[in-house]
Amino acid sequence: MTASGSRLILPLAALFFACFVAPLLVLLALSLHSDVAMKAWTIGNYAKFFTDPFNYSILVDTLLLGVKATLVCLIFGYPIAWLCARASARWQSVLLFLVILPILTSVVVRTFAWIVILGRQGVLNQIAMGLGLVHEPLRLLNTEMGVVMVLAQVQMPLMVLPILTVLSKMDPNLADASRVLGAGEWRTFWKVTLPLSLPGIIAGCILTYSANITAFVTQSLIGGARLIYMPLHIYQQAVGANNWPFAAAISIIFMMAVIAVVAVLSVFARASETYGRA
Amino acid sequence: MTSSIERHSFNRRTLIKAASASTFALAAPRLSWGQSKTLVAATFPGTWSEADRQIILPAFKAQTGASVTQSIVLGTDQISRLVAAKGNKPPFDVAFFDAPQVIDAVRDGLIAEYPAAQSPNFKDLLPAAQNKWGPKITMQVIGIGYNPDKIKTPPTSWEDLWDAKYKGRVGLTALNSQLGIAFIAELNRIRGGTDDNFDPAFKALRELLPNVGAIGANLGAFATLWQQGEIDIAPYNFNFVQTLKAKGVPVEFAIPSTGPVGWSTSLHVVAGATEPELALQYIDLHLSAAIQEQMLKPPFDVIPTNAKVKLEGAITKSLAKTQDDLAKVRTFDWAKLNPQRGALIDRFNREIKV
Repeated sequence: MTASGSRLILPLAALFFACFVAPLLVLLALSLHSDVAMKAWTIGNYAKFFTDPFNYSILVDTLLLGVKATLVCLIFGYPIAWLCARASARWQSVLLFLVILPILTSVVVRTFAWIVILGRQGVLNQIAMGLGLVHEPLRLLNTEMGVVMVLAQVQMPLMVLPILTVLSKMDPNLADASRVLGAGEWRTFWKVTLPLSLPGIIAGCILTYSANITAFVTQSLIGGARLIYMPLHIYQQAVGANNWPFAAAISIIFMMAVIAVVAVLSVFARASETYGRA
Repeated sequence: MTSSIERHSFNRRTLIKAASASTFALAAPRLSWGQSKTLVAATFPGTWSEADRQIILPAFKAQTGASVTQSIVLGTDQISRLVAAKGNKPPFDVAFFDAPQVIDAVRDGLIAEYPAAQSPNFKDLLPAAQNKWGPKITMQVIGIGYNPDKIKTPPTSWEDLWDAKYKGRVGLTALNSQLGIAFIAELNRIRGGTDDNFDPAFKALRELLPNVGAIGANLGAFATLWQQGEIDIAPYNFNFVQTLKAKGVPVEFAIPSTGPVGWSTSLHVVAGATEPELALQYIDLHLSAAIQEQMLKPPFDVIPTNAKVKLEGAITKSLAKTQDDLAKVRTFDWAKLNPQRGALIDRFNREIKV
């Protein structure tokens, strides 16, 4: 980058520093104090978090919730992306619109719609009972399974779009070559298409994972107050209990945990890119 | 990058001009909007934000020419926002608090003393409602909400919630809502606890768990549980029952045999408010007999605090025939309960799990 080029990023860098880095430093400082006035330094908030199994069980539950919802997203999202990439230009725009559609409505609206679907007298239970599959309505609201289902749908576009981008950039000759050399459809998919789409898969996983574990609205509306994940925990400590230093500490811990997971995925991403080029 | 800009003879000056023109275009509607004054008033989600929007806002506009921007947040959230903005411009001019938040707000210097002398309707309030930090505009009462389609005999006691026939049908709210805290405090009192010892309440809640179908993370989610038929019986607020009923949801309100229990709700001028004059007028409007009579009508059924307003409607059916009956509604010792809120939320999260 030239000197004038680097000067061009200065405004953005300043904005980023003022609106993101600086508040984050304040948060970090607050987490290291015992009071809001920030008079006495302490690591007590962190000690409190890690000496209490209740706290880190919430952290583990949250990180696992992200893994489950991301996997469901991937399992359903990959075929959609694959279909989109293969479709004719006109169908592709229709499918793409359907994929993006959820982003166009507010997450609160989407989540409330899911309450209607998952409820005891909801659409899903009525279908299941009408078909005689179950006799008692299934409990889906206020369960982790319900949260995973809704998160997977709500965050689906974040998975589909990166995979679609990679798949549609892929040279179709590669698949043809594979077939000419005697590989069947499945073998071509496992040996050629899937490895080449890894960067897209990993990008999608990073996006959906971080969106899933921080989805305060969906987690608390579908999960209710019995299933406590980190965002609700932070909210309760900050607003309900008015314990800002502790809320700040668990926010920092949560952020570090997310960064660690994303960092691991990024290492995979880099490795898969070299694989793609080779 | 630089070369392409030069090639299109797009120099820095034209760029800045274009940028400032578009900024002005964006700001323009705001400028014309700002000509009439705007008051920012906090209000609660549900009954109160709707009643304010339908009754207060048009009357306020007619009286002052100013408009109101509603900031719809719970009392505890308002405290957090005011604390966060301390020393700066506060995020709203009028605070809308339940009794416990008033104590915290006075302690932290978040609200100004109410200029009662300049508020013509203040003297018409019941003596108990004339608080010097801000007038009480209503009272909220909790009892048992139930679905009359599913429960034919109205419940008569809190103990009914523990009845085995309501397995999986009882609802609760998290303790960050006033409803949640008030219910656990009342339950604790009935089961023989004191404000220093909540063991009896938590023991009772653990015994209730088999009956609990869902715990709403907030009051909006709780209302949805009723609408979707997820729960049939739960501690609920008199006004929320009326609001849901008006929307066609099958829900009724019963007062348990241990008597009604509640707390006052009040309005306050925020310390350092941008529009203190308008804030005073807005609060005074809430106190007028004419307005409180309108608020008393369904679907809001807001309990009045103006002594001139005669009780009528749903209130007289289940709650109180006269203002004297309302004075008998038992209240809580918030000065003792407030400091425990954090610990109670924490304990609820740990002990009342699936």
